[in-house]
Amino acid sequence: MMPPPEAVSAAVRREALCAAVVRALTGDAALHYRGGRLCRQRRPLPLHAPHLHGNAYIDDFASLRGASDGAAARLTHSDPALHRLLSPEDRLERLLFELFEQVRCEALAAPGMQGLARNLRYRFESWSRAYCRSGLIDGHLGILVYTVLQVVWSRVTGWPVLAESEGLIEATRAGIAPHIGSALAGLRRDRFDQRAYGEIGRDLARRIAAMLEDARAGSRLEDEADADARDPDDPLTSFSLWVDFDDSDDLLPGGDARAEGRAPFEAARAYRAYTTQFDREVRAGRLVRAALLREYREQLDERIAARGINVARVARAMQAALAVPVRNGWSFGEEDGRIDGRRLAQIVSSPGERRVFVQERVRPRGDCVLGLLIDCSASMKAHVDTVAMLVDTLTRASEQAGLTTEVLGFTTGAWNGGRARNEWLAQGRPPRPGRLNELCHMVFKSADDSWRRARSDIAALFKADLFREGVDGEAIEWACTRLAAHQAARRILVVISDGSPMDAATVQANDARYLDAHLSEVLGRHESLRDVDVIGLGVARDLSVSFRHCLALDPAAPLDTKRLISLAQWIGARR
Amino acid sequence: MTTEFMQRAPDKTMSARECFGIDSSLTVPAFSERDDHVPDIDPAYRFNAEVTLAILAGFMCNRRVMVQGLHGTGKSTHIEQVAARLNWPCVRVNLDGHISRLDLVGKDAIVLRDERQITEFQEGIVPWALQRPVALIFDEYDAGRPDVMFVIQRILERDGSFTLLDQNRVIRPHRYFRLFATTNTIGLGNVNGLYHGTQLLNHAQMDRWNVVATLNYLPRDEEVDIVLARVPEMADEAGRALVQSMVGMAALTRKGFAAGDLSTLMSPRTVIDWAENCQIFRDPALAFRLTFLNKCEEAERAIVAEYYQRCFDVELAGEPAADAVSGADDRGARQ
Repeated sequence: MMPPPEAVSAAVRREALCAAVVRALTGDAALHYRGGRLCRQRRPLPLHAPHLHGNAYIDDFASLRGASDGAAARLTHSDPALHRLLSPEDRLERLLFELFEQVRCEALAAPGMQGLARNLRYRFESWSRAYCRSGLIDGHLGILVYTVLQVVWSRVTGWPVLAESEGLIEATRAGIAPHIGSALAGLRRDRFDQRAYGEIGRDLARRIAAMLEDARAGSRLEDEADADARDPDDPLTSFSLWVDFDDSDDLLPGGDARAEGRAPFEAARAYRAYTTQFDREVRAGRLVRAALLREYREQLDERIAARGINVARVARAMQAALAVPVRNGWSFGEEDGRIDGRRLAQIVSSPGERRVFVQERVRPRGDCVLGLLIDCSASMKAHVDTVAMLVDTLTRASEQAGLTTEVLGFTTGAWNGGRARNEWLAQGRPPRPGRLNELCHMVFKSADDSWRRARSDIAALFKADLFREGVDGEAIEWACTRLAAHQAARRILVVISDGSPMDAATVQANDARYLDAHLSEVLGRHESLRDVDVIGLGVARDLSVSFRHCLALDPAAPLDTKRLISLAQWIGARR
Repeated sequence: MTTEFMQRAPDKTMSARECFGIDSSLTVPAFSERDDHVPDIDPAYRFNAEVTLAILAGFMCNRRVMVQGLHGTGKSTHIEQVAARLNWPCVRVNLDGHISRLDLVGKDAIVLRDERQITEFQEGIVPWALQRPVALIFDEYDAGRPDVMFVIQRILERDGSFTLLDQNRVIRPHRYFRLFATTNTIGLGNVNGLYHGTQLLNHAQMDRWNVVATLNYLPRDEEVDIVLARVPEMADEAGRALVQSMVGMAALTRKGFAAGDLSTLMSPRTVIDWAENCQIFRDPALAFRLTFLNKCEEAERAIVAEYYQRCFDVELAGEPAADAVSGADDRGARQ
């Protein structure tokens, strides 16, 4: 189910706020959220405690805050190398151990951070409620883990256990109390010492796992007759509150080189185009009849006029965000500064005249090239109105602000692989053919054109049959190469898209993640090269899975000056 | 200023441990008598051990000391307070882009003598100070124009004498003349966009400073103590907790600045202002808005409000709380 557009932009904004707080709390500028997971550079961090996995779409804001604060606490107070060293092997023991460590970090929240402490507590409690609701707690394993966690949490942090479930855990608690009592006291005492705490925690985890093993052995005996007996381990694998260690086992903190998600990385390395024979780069204006193009342009002009957009204000915002002051010429007739030699005669003849000085003039200059890359896949057809207006106004405003702009688009020349796929079929379908389609890269406005000259080409966006499929990775590569050719202090590429790459033929012939992996690889490369800032503007879509910096645009809300200004500021923000 | 002042010399020694509360066995020369040029002692001032040592080295061993740090960390005050406790006369010069060579070296001026106008050379601040037992502090050293700052090139050497070209006179520095400077940047100009108007310094000159001390933000507890010392009204249990949150808030803005999320940050001076404003407005949130939030860019206020929530568990009114609580409406999405 697709979330509604306004929910997407709200969620993206909330996630961005939480990420900003995590960065401030940890002092690590490389942290950000990507697809709901906290990442450093492009690597997800190994935060396995289930209550740290917030979901910006489902959880309320307080809960999301708690999840990100918990992650920040963990990053601040826990030494990942030591943690890895102490981690037990067994799956259940390891999970408990992770939880204990997380609880320890949360208990250490700095003094003078009441809100942080409350967020942590709120998050833990709402997670506990969700856990109870999920029915997990009915299982033997479920209730045992839950009880241990509640008791440890309450003991280490000093907050009372969740009142609603106090009755639920009472019996289990009484049962295990004699076995874990001393360990609990130790945990509380050693919470400032990760090693001592970790050793007690590991011991406690082992004891709980052993208890469970006993219980399981007992229940096996009883249920032996019943062939369909549910595996008591079941909840661990089926319930989404529990994390899957396996998918991220090697993403250990402090991350080493191999930590890059392995499978996608290999796929990306193998990325190739089956044939580039049919790829083309065209001026978008050439694809549409001149008369029709004029008509489209009038249509676009009318819409922009109807919105009453103040381009000059957007241009000023652009200028403020992107231009740098440079010394440029002189300003004459000033009241102070250096004496203007040409006015000496005037000083002699009328000594009362004071405006005889010159000053160096400082003017803003836009030393920046801005590229707008439009995803022209079929689904974007629905949003073309907003996108065309946005692109047109931003281009005009940037030009007024003295920036160089390029407007580019990408689509494919045909559906379902076109001639490239035919050729592949004719060759007898060799395995792993790579990208199978005719790319079509469109130039709506190149850097050398003025807006006035390119204005009709931009209207070509209204031509519906240009919209087919999209291979984002190669398109971004192409756009970056174009931008990198310009000498400028900053190069920014805004990718306007409504989703991940889509090309049916390629996906069928390779694997489903083939294009996504390449997109991630391309973005990751430019992120580390820092030659072009690639940022994603999602149209009713959260692009945070692939883009480090992204924003979601709600196409239904009217595009007015205010929104354009905030977009301009977002584009120009220092990164 | 009489010759008597020019003849003065330190006539006692003080223990750094007793005087500044730092762990060091240094004994420092000091004057026993106060003078008009000695700054007032601020009893609440807290000394940073490392920077104090650097400044004391400057006074004791005639080293040229530069103190670098972000704004509001109390660089100039730090030098002044050390001088105040040593009773060392102290002259502070604020540099800016318009200070010219004539201001520093001196110029011919028209004076009245015996009811007649005559032109006479008047010494600038550098030759004046050079001949006296004075600590000369160049404040905002990086705001001075680098071409002008070359006039001090020679006196940066310990025994470097100073030639007055206009008078064909060579001035030997007084034995107890001292030179200090404070700067926001380390001479590389306005790198982070924070210090507009600073200049790229000439590194041949930077090289001549014998000691460069960095005064950055203090550990949390020290900063809490400083704020409490400044605003004694808050020195009770509740006040201390409040100040701790305030200092935590300031720390978040600093890290946020370092991470590039904010374009401004809270200096210790801002925290003190905020604490003082709390006394006026009786409401930390309002005082915060008036002290810091309104200095922030519009787009960054949401982030600052988030920080505030972390520290005070209070939503700053007018910030994205409205959208923040609407989260429940989005339930069920992305499943």
